Amino acid sequence: MPIDKEKGFDAKNNSSGATVNQGPDVWAKAAGRALYGIDLQLPGMLYGKILRSPHPHARIKAIDTAEADALPGVRAVLTASDIKKKRYGIVVQDELPLAYDRVRYIGDEVAAVAAVDEKSASRALEALNVEYEPLSAVFEPKAALAQGAVQIHDQFPGNIAWQRELERGNPDRAFKEADLVVENSFSIPSVHPTYLEPIACVASSDYPGNLTIHTALQSPDIVRDIIAGALELPFSKVRIVGPVMGGGFGGRVYGNLKLYLLSSLLSQFTGLPVKMQLSREEEFCIGRPMIAAELKIKMALRSDGTFLARESEIVTDNGAYSAQAPWVSKTLSERNDSVYRIPNIRTRACLVYTNKVPTAQYRAYGNQAANFACESLIDQAAEKLGLDPLQIRLNNCTQAGDTTVHGLKIKSCALKDCLKEAAAKIGWSNRNKNCGYGISAGIHASGSLVANKDFRGASARAVLELDGRVTLFSGEQDYGQGTYGAFTNIAAGVLELDPDLFSLNCRDSLITPYSQGALANRQTTIGGRAVQLAAADLKKLIEEAASEMAGEPVRMEKGRLKSNDGSIMELAAVAVYYHNRTSGLTLTGEGSYVPPPVEYDETSYGNISVTYSFAAHAAEVEVDRETGAFTIKRIASVHDSGRIINPLAARGQVYGGVAQGVGFSCYEGYLFDRGRVVSKTLADYRIPTALDVPHIACCFIETTDPEGPLGVKGLGEVVQVPVPGALANAVADAAGVRVTELPITAEKIYRAISKGECAR
Amino acid sequence: MSYTIASNLKQAIKILKESDGKAQVIAGATDLFLENLPSELVDVSAVPEILGITRGKDFLSIGAGVTHAEAAASSVIRSEAEALSEACRIVGSPQVRNMGTLGGNVINAAPAADAAVALVALGAKAVLTDLYGSSREAFVVDLYGGYNRSSVDSSAEILMRFLLKPAQRGEGSAFLRFAPRAALALPLVNAAARIRVEQSLIKEARIVIAPAKPAPTRLLETEKLLLGAKPGLDLWQKVKSTASSEIEVRGSMLRCSEEYRCHLVGVLARRVSQQAVVRAMEAE
Ligand SMILES: Cc1cc2nc3c(=O)[nH]c(=O)nc-3n(C[C@H](O)[C@H](O)[C@H](O)COP(=O)(O)OP(=O)(O)OC[C@H]3O[C@@H](n4cnc5c(N)ncnc54)[C@H](O)[C@@H]3O)c2cc1C
Repeated sequence: MPIDKEKGFDAKNNSSGATVNQGPDVWAKAAGRALYGIDLQLPGMLYGKILRSPHPHARIKAIDTAEADALPGVRAVLTASDIKKKRYGIVVQDELPLAYDRVRYIGDEVAAVAAVDEKSASRALEALNVEYEPLSAVFEPKAALAQGAVQIHDQFPGNIAWQRELERGNPDRAFKEADLVVENSFSIPSVHPTYLEPIACVASSDYPGNLTIHTALQSPDIVRDIIAGALELPFSKVRIVGPVMGGGFGGRVYGNLKLYLLSSLLSQFTGLPVKMQLSREEEFCIGRPMIAAELKIKMALRSDGTFLARESEIVTDNGAYSAQAPWVSKTLSERNDSVYRIPNIRTRACLVYTNKVPTAQYRAYGNQAANFACESLIDQAAEKLGLDPLQIRLNNCTQAGDTTVHGLKIKSCALKDCLKEAAAKIGWSNRNKNCGYGISAGIHASGSLVANKDFRGASARAVLELDGRVTLFSGEQDYGQGTYGAFTNIAAGVLELDPDLFSLNCRDSLITPYSQGALANRQTTIGGRAVQLAAADLKKLIEEAASEMAGEPVRMEKGRLKSNDGSIMELAAVAVYYHNRTSGLTLTGEGSYVPPPVEYDETSYGNISVTYSFAAHAAEVEVDRETGAFTIKRIASVHDSGRIINPLAARGQVYGGVAQGVGFSCYEGYLFDRGRVVSKTLADYRIPTALDVPHIACCFIETTDPEGPLGVKGLGEVVQVPVPGALANAVADAAGVRVTELPITAEKIYRAISKGECAR
Repeated sequence: MSYTIASNLKQAIKILKESDGKAQVIAGATDLFLENLPSELVDVSAVPEILGITRGKDFLSIGAGVTHAEAAASSVIRSEAEALSEACRIVGSPQVRNMGTLGGNVINAAPAADAAVALVALGAKAVLTDLYGSSREAFVVDLYGGYNRSSVDSSAEILMRFLLKPAQRGEGSAFLRFAPRAALALPLVNAAARIRVEQSLIKEARIVIAPAKPAPTRLLETEKLLLGAKPGLDLWQKVKSTASSEIEVRGSMLRCSEEYRCHLVGVLARRVSQQAVVRAMEAE
């Protein structure tokens, strides 16, 4: 059903009746006018290309650049010997801009060239001669952990990039006292965020050494930090200017650091702007997919279905370099523990280097991967105990006022109602015998504070322009999730002005406040709060200036400046008055939102986020038992994301997130052949088409969160979290057997059925 | 590069002739554009001689330039060659169906091209014209020269039309495919059948599956089993097991295992035959 025809749905107003503006990007995109990274052109621009390793693991013995250097049109050829050997990284420092003496995966960057056009750059790559000495390589985490396995990084013995052991409560006792213990193993492949626009950038280094990188990033200021560090430039000399972003889904928090560094280095060498752009194939083969994971989970329950304990052993596949994989592994290994009341936990997680494509993150940060495993196991337990999957969840789910097993303080939570509503919407009490049904629940941090304990919040500026319009400045990023619309609406709400009077500047680090950017569901929650405060500050300043101008108290009400006698002043007149009086200053409101300090100990027990969003999804699936083919008929998606200030954009998030969740659960996944990515085109890496996405029944249960601005909580990531669990359970219900390996395909269902293996 | 949109057959032939084998025929471009394009192209998609669908007294003639979308929308094809109608309906995506032609589908020679599988099951013949104006007829199944290779040289011959026998009394056809996603995916297996019944007995049967060999492949053992048989549970069980054992298929990491494909061949051969029989009986 078209959403605007849904009963009671109003795209123009939210539940408190405020009008909603969709933000400036929406129309530019719809009209085909938006300019993306791929559209960038600067005068004198060169084109950069990268020579990549054909070996999964090899020593570089020699690189001969003479022939390439001599080609017409070639302006620079860089190898590791031309640049400083300075490692960088996001969590661990394990990367160099170009491989120095060793390549560690097929695609590792060996040399970079800049030329006057793409053809000349390609010819230069062909003219480079590299002599390799192949080394033995390791492709599976288990093999990489084995004694005597080849060491991928000297500084990480045993190929362990990161590991963690965690115990809460007394799991041993809980397992001993349990009436039922269930366990199973699950595996989840790497997936790519598959944003529509492959990453592109133009780096431009000028004579005094200022570096400007034009590229669309979710967290430009964090990337500035890394670039400045890696290139040993003063931070204030690195500027990032963003074109419109063609999707990110977490993959563009850091984007492709190699590309930014190499184009910057080439620009420094040539003195000209250098454009670099990944092909779709490069995106798959060297872009950064999310880690693959193997989970072995065990749960202890009482006979009445009460959850007593969970024990997890998790091995994640890092690939050759680490990026954010440690953080993703951490979220993957613990977030699902807070969906329910589980008092005892033991987790061992280990992130392992292999000679494969390096990994990073994806929307939901591995939370959805673990959801598949945890929620599958809950259904196994429910079946053993003869309990209804809905009831066992209702009995155990986290509620407002709880402090979860990892110390998360739940101030608002409608999870119970979400579960009930998802069940109602899918027809849980009146299930069709020919279909299978599954339900699943999820939590996600909204405004996670762990990235930087000291810099927890955000700031913004609101400026009254001389023409009476308002310009907002924020460093937060919109890549389709509706941040700019939300900020406009929040500021317009505070000043009670028409949203059309607002302009937004977010994409140029030269003029925007430093920000953490679009990660951890913090845009609307934290960035929005800063905008709200900046707008309130501006309102106060406007009233002060207007009072001074009128010589009597003036108040701003319903967007109008009124003095005691009822006369009305124009905003523009006040702006000009202040401007003249100060010889050029503008009325500028500043907002700084600093969330309460986080207290977490060395085991990271504590309240790690401003607030938490919840969701419950239910799925209806039909399975053809003879072939294993399945049809996802419907997914009911019910969310507690606090107050919904933009119903249309919120629904967009749910539809897109559920569609991606369907892809994650049933279609996508990297395939490798001895370290080589086999699924490297959109024909072979299959994301769902419009015909594969079922009808999505979407519903919000609005809570008022004490922390978020206007009571809002994040939505962008949690939308994907419960999908794999709901689909896995629905398929198991329909087929009578459980698939424990994503993606769930017809062939895997068929195999499970023909094995007659009733692992349920 | 030169690109000419020919407005009639004579012009197309003239350009091909003058280019000395350098120019190649292009129609919807959905396959050819994915490869390195030859330097000279003759676009035949507007050549009237290769367009249109006509029903003669005892033949159905479908232009090689007819698009999948046109074929899928044609009521004549639906009633006279239902398998082809079903195959064309499911090709690629709306964009691909709007551009891609039946002629291109056959000459591109992909082992599991949907329209080609249906055409082979229907026993279609192709009419081709060479650069000297003489034409020949050949069965579609005989136009294959190897994996993804047609025996037709598109710089020296133009595929004009497909000729089919319209559905007879007591005859029905059907097409099925099994793909990993609902659109834009190569099938793991596709199958088509044309069956004629007389007094509830199967009198004629052609069952075709792909991908197994370079060309869509008839299941001769299965056809034998069907001939003269009375449709029933027993028969269908045997059809499934015979079909999956009479032909060798391959597995691949990106698609599916050999074992699963083999199973699918059996299931699809049975389902498509059953469907064709149901239709045949309705037409009796
Ligand atoms: C995204 C995508 C999805 C697809 N999905 C499917 C699918 O699901 N099923 C399927 O079967 N196919 C599919 N295809 C393949 C393709 O669309 C079909 O094979 C189509 O029918 C080709 O026809 P065309 O007119 O575009 O051929 P062209 O690309 O124009 O030509 C293909 C070949 O045929 C030759 N040729 C064309 N017409 C003639 C003629 N009249 N005489 C002589 N030679 C000729 C050309 O020289 C060339 O060698 C897909 C293609 C794409 C790009």
